[in-house]
Amino acid sequence: MNNSNIASKNISTPRHESEFRKKCRAVWFKTKAFFDGNPPAIVGGFLMTVILLGALFAPVLATHNPDKRVARPHVAPNSEYILGTTRNGRDVYSQVLQGARKTLSVAIFAGIIATVIAVSVGVTSGYFGGKIDEWMNFATNVFLVFPQLPLLIVLAAFLGQVSSVVIAVLLGVTSWPWGARVIRSQTLAIRNKEFIISAEVMGESKIRIIMVEILPNLISIVFGGFLGTVIYAMGAEAALGFLGLGDATEVSWGSMLYWAQTSSSLYTGAWWEMLVPAIALALTGGALALINMSIDQISNPKLRTGPHMKIWKKMHKEADRSRGLL
Amino acid sequence: MKSPLLEINNLCVDYVSPNGIARAVNNVSLTIAPGETLGIAGESGCGKSTLAFAITRLHKAPGVIPEGEIFYNDRDILKMSDKELRNFRWNDVSIVFQSAMNSLNPVITIGEQITDVILAHKKVTYKEAVAKGKELLEIVGIHGDRLSSFSHQLSGGMRQRVVIAIALALEPKLIIMDEPTTALDVVVEREILNELYDLKEKFGFSILFISHDLSLMGEIADRIGVMYAGNLIEIGDAKTVFNNPSHPYTKGLLASFPTIHGPKERLHGIPGDPVNLLKLPVGCNFQARCSECVAICKKMVPALDELRPGYKAACHKL
Amino acid sequence: MNFILRRLSFYFTAFLIAISFNFLLPRLMPGDPIEAMFAAAQGKMDIAQMDAVREMYGFMGGSFFDQYISYMHSVFTFDLGPSVLMYPIDVTTVVGMSLPWTIFLALGSLIVALIIGVSIGTYASYRREGFFGQFVPPFLAFLSNFPYIVTALILFYVFGLKYDLLPLAYTYDPSLDPGFSFEFIGSVLKHAILPMGSMILVGIATWVFNMRNAMINVLGEDYVTMAEAKGLSSFRVMYRYAGRNAILPVATAIAMAIGFAFAGSIMTEIVFNYQGLGNILLKGIMARDYPLIQAILLILVSAVLTANFVADLLYVWLDPRISK
Repeated sequence: MNNSNIASKNISTPRHESEFRKKCRAVWFKTKAFFDGNPPAIVGGFLMTVILLGALFAPVLATHNPDKRVARPHVAPNSEYILGTTRNGRDVYSQVLQGARKTLSVAIFAGIIATVIAVSVGVTSGYFGGKIDEWMNFATNVFLVFPQLPLLIVLAAFLGQVSSVVIAVLLGVTSWPWGARVIRSQTLAIRNKEFIISAEVMGESKIRIIMVEILPNLISIVFGGFLGTVIYAMGAEAALGFLGLGDATEVSWGSMLYWAQTSSSLYTGAWWEMLVPAIALALTGGALALINMSIDQISNPKLRTGPHMKIWKKMHKEADRSRGLL
Repeated sequence: MKSPLLEINNLCVDYVSPNGIARAVNNVSLTIAPGETLGIAGESGCGKSTLAFAITRLHKAPGVIPEGEIFYNDRDILKMSDKELRNFRWNDVSIVFQSAMNSLNPVITIGEQITDVILAHKKVTYKEAVAKGKELLEIVGIHGDRLSSFSHQLSGGMRQRVVIAIALALEPKLIIMDEPTTALDVVVEREILNELYDLKEKFGFSILFISHDLSLMGEIADRIGVMYAGNLIEIGDAKTVFNNPSHPYTKGLLASFPTIHGPKERLHGIPGDPVNLLKLPVGCNFQARCSECVAICKKMVPALDELRPGYKAACHKL
Repeated sequence: MNFILRRLSFYFTAFLIAISFNFLLPRLMPGDPIEAMFAAAQGKMDIAQMDAVREMYGFMGGSFFDQYISYMHSVFTFDLGPSVLMYPIDVTTVVGMSLPWTIFLALGSLIVALIIGVSIGTYASYRREGFFGQFVPPFLAFLSNFPYIVTALILFYVFGLKYDLLPLAYTYDPSLDPGFSFEFIGSVLKHAILPMGSMILVGIATWVFNMRNAMINVLGEDYVTMAEAKGLSSFRVMYRYAGRNAILPVATAIAMAIGFAFAGSIMTEIVFNYQGLGNILLKGIMARDYPLIQAILLILVSAVLTANFVADLLYVWLDPRISK
């Protein structure tokens, strides 16, 4: 500790690295640091990658056409139909891959809409304060207090069969308040910090202050809120699909549940029709939650994780041992 | 000479951070005699609070005490079992923390915070504990009815008095005061310090007084120690340290304070920035900012030498 | 007091908004909703009843505003109209029979999940570096983020069908008479295990994380350090100093959780054929029984608002800085 040379290490790099390579390396190191000593991130990241790849390459990976009847109904999983067939004789494996695309895109789309609204409302409300804040806060609280899923169900029931785009929009438009509230309180906390006040005094335009000074500090909670909304939207889409609202003719995990339910697949022993989409939903939700949790872990120093804790434990043990306390 | 109440030998305290291990307290040795007031001065981050916390082993991860001994009346505190430690705490050594607002539990009454420590250490009935609590409040000049108040219902000065009352509850032999008046305005500060004088007269405890305010310490301390970057660099009787310091850092510190008396002089601060504990230089920690730095200062760490009986300083020039 | 009054006025405003939403809903649909309902009733309703519905909804002519007042009046006199599905029983009765079960399920599982979750969260914060603190929270996060129906379906299948351990439908054994007998209460509890268990599994992680994070924040506070310096027992430090403060942000989270609990109970009821509002809602949707659907929505909203208000009262009780 006493012996390091004060002279900087960076002065003498002769190699001529391009800016691009340097940036790539920085990103690589940051990603590695994120996963290092962070098991939830590793597990969650791995699962999510598998699921996303599956969804992305669904047409290539599927063994049969998910929309067509290809075999007898309720065939148990075997080598040809890896996850069995539905009541209508469709291949469950191909369906679950295809459904991934639909369900995930609805959830992500809803998440984006909700996050955009939440950031706009939250930052505006927190930054400008006053009457704007009062009204927006009131609107947020009203939205928050209503149970959202029943509202969605009733809306969907009144609107009848609607396409998944409409569902995504509906979900996005009803789930922003949760994130808005968190963003607002964080904006309020940052707003009164000195670097913002000095920027204002210097005459920086308000928009610029918001974009350049405030937003970068909000990234981790915004992203966390985005993931949380995606998890929620996925669950809501599944619930609506299960009830037969939304578009039951398109293949999504929710509609798979619907058909499984109406064909009483659990009762007739064809558990795969119901449980495959259920497990797909479960794994995706769980994986996203793990990633969300590990982002939290990183951005909160009080949580005391990381490789330096191992060093601390060793030192602590040794000190105790030398004093005869162990 | 009476045996010391508290004896710290070669204490080291480290903090393990993601960027390396920072040594917050480096090989500090000092003693406190019964009834004595020892002041420890230094800038923020020099390790004085860390030293104080170590005395009752309040450090949590990532702090660790790799070396050293702290003897209280011939018992090494660092070797005590959990049970012994719990008995020792507050009974023998109590602490007055820096911010009374933050050191009082906001959701329970202050009465409960006085009585719980009495009940935890002494075999008395609840009624007796409450009675003692009232007595303690009156000693610090607060009406006994305030036992049922919450901390947010009291003013800053009152809160600090409550914290002092709690510190006195078990009549400890040593009270550690970590910047007890920093958060108060000068008028209240003066009142509290006067009360402290009286209490010390009455109960006869020792005080370990930690502050960055050297002039305050010049008044109330019997001896003063000065810390820089984890090292104790000067320690001796208060008058000498204050009026005739030996170490360049102490000299610089004193020169930074304006005096009310005498002609107006230009203030000299200490140039440079506080040293980074993760990147300590070879040799004396103060070298980068020292006006009297010479070659040897950059190679060897100066030892805390006894210049006169009872007076030590760590500088190569002495 | 000020705080409570403000909250009350807020809830009342929210309730009015809900009623207005209900008012607008049938008017947003193309065509005459009353006719549509009549058609869906397939001859079970007669003209007199249809007029009664029209009146309840305020479709009686007169200005938009008159109709609005008329509908308000219906709501506040508990006249929510006849149910198409259960004709001639009216909506209020249908809802009255099933509401208690939904409240039992939603709030019951919330309370249990809260107690268990807070305890686990406290312990996990205490043993942050150990196995418990590092493994249990992520594990629970994973489990709890299965969508409500998924957990319900999996439990349904494993415990109900495959291993036939627990009953799969109804709130109690239909052959029993409701009453305060041991047999009846036992049956109620037995039928509640799976649906409540499913909801508790989903709800637990929220509380584990809320409490754990709150505790971690609080454990860094000076008053906790002082409590330790006082030589108090670690039990007392954990509960009376740390926990008692950490519970405050958790109490704030209760309000939000109530809405989710009711939403989740609807889906769970459907899977387990539990005779609460969710089940009735589904049947109403299938039968296009609009008065029933809207009434259920209104009742749900009222239940959530009331529960939120109770949660506010709880917070005032817990935090002495608020009650002046």
